[in-house]
Amino acid sequence: MKPLAHVAFALLVAALQVALLRWLGGGALPVMLLAACVVHQGLHGGNVDGSVAAAGIGYVLDLVTGTPKGLMTFLAVLVFVLARSVSAAVDVRGRAAFGLLSGGAALLLSLGALLLTRYTSADEVAPRLGLVPRALVEAVLTGLAAPALLPALRRLDALFHREEPGLLR
Amino acid sequence: MLALLKRYRELLLVAALLLVPLGVFFAHAKNPADRSPLDRAILWLTTPVERVVGWAIRSAVGVSEGYVALRGAHARAGELEREVERLRLENQQLVAERLEAERLRKLLGFAETSPERTHVGARVIGVRLAPAGLQLLTLDRGADDGISRMMPVVIADGVVGRVHTAYAHTADVLVLTDRNSSIAVRVDRTRARANVRGVGKTDAARLDYALRTEDMIEGDLLVTSGTDGVFPRGLPVGKVTKIDRNPHGLFQDALVVPAVDPTRIEEVLVVTRWERTGDVLPAAYVPEAGK
Repeated sequence: MKPLAHVAFALLVAALQVALLRWLGGGALPVMLLAACVVHQGLHGGNVDGSVAAAGIGYVLDLVTGTPKGLMTFLAVLVFVLARSVSAAVDVRGRAAFGLLSGGAALLLSLGALLLTRYTSADEVAPRLGLVPRALVEAVLTGLAAPALLPALRRLDALFHREEPGLLR
Repeated sequence: MLALLKRYRELLLVAALLLVPLGVFFAHAKNPADRSPLDRAILWLTTPVERVVGWAIRSAVGVSEGYVALRGAHARAGELEREVERLRLENQQLVAERLEAERLRKLLGFAETSPERTHVGARVIGVRLAPAGLQLLTLDRGADDGISRMMPVVIADGVVGRVHTAYAHTADVLVLTDRNSSIAVRVDRTRARANVRGVGKTDAARLDYALRTEDMIEGDLLVTSGTDGVFPRGLPVGKVTKIDRNPHGLFQDALVVPAVDPTRIEEVLVVTRWERTGDVLPAAYVPEAGK
């Protein structure tokens, strides 16, 4: 249930992002807020529900970005694994650290998508490396915007948090 | 074996979640536009949110520019200052309305100059111009309004793109700057043929298949040739810039500045029907009668 709720939340975030970007620069400012959702799964989700939610969010990313099926799903699970590795080594608690990780995740998702699409596409439609600066801008903006999502993600987690009975006995 | 599977089941699940999508990606890499009914249904769920957010922002801007701003001015200043503020606000609203009216008049004029075409007007309610994926604009009209796949989308300044997917009440437009967009064009001055292909940036495209021997200079206007069967002929696509004539090979390279900036589009026309006329010679090349 929890992964499903996170995927539904990701869908809502994606829709809000698409609509808001139309009013903020008409799309000239690229943002990938779903990267923050995947990072949150890596930091606070379990192995099973976190990875399933990350795959679901990746599927939503595939739909909204128009990438070939499976590309963003694969990259989102990869980001989940990396975020999990980071959280095992470092205690990520603050908003700034979350923003930093989200920016890194957005960069990884964008560059991963560029490279894999470049690898599989015909030469004339393959994305050029000239898109890398735009991916960097996207990472920076995602890093700046991601902390704003954190309270909503925590609230969503709290809905599924259950106290273990008899823990104090 | 079962015990081993049980022991490593979480690891195996994560590995499967990594490998299965990767396999699906390599299987679908050549058909990025494939969307199943489930994909369409899920995307359809996002359109009400896009509509509501658009409506909310428009309303909020309207309210702040009208009642709230006026009331704030009343609280802050005296009678005279309030009057000046109100007039200034009215002026701003009139300017905004005039600009919108000018845009719409331009669109209407464009539609009326081409009676052989039928158009559906639409507003842009969403943009997806991420560098990694497709570059799409979401329109507030869809299949129920007569819009279907591959229909040309234009504004008075020129070509915006073509309809990529039409849902019941909305439609996605693949803008001309997308990497997968290729438009057959002619140089307006010399009638030389070429293709304009997007490069994934909102402010640039490139010119493909322009013969090295063709006369082409920077600033040349490119218009649709109509030979791709998608766009009516004669619509502005962009201007040639940065020509690079290779010493060898068949073609010359050039960059194109699109006639339309996809980040600034608010209303568009979808060409729902147009007569596919033959490739007519321009007036300058038609031999005079009787000769």
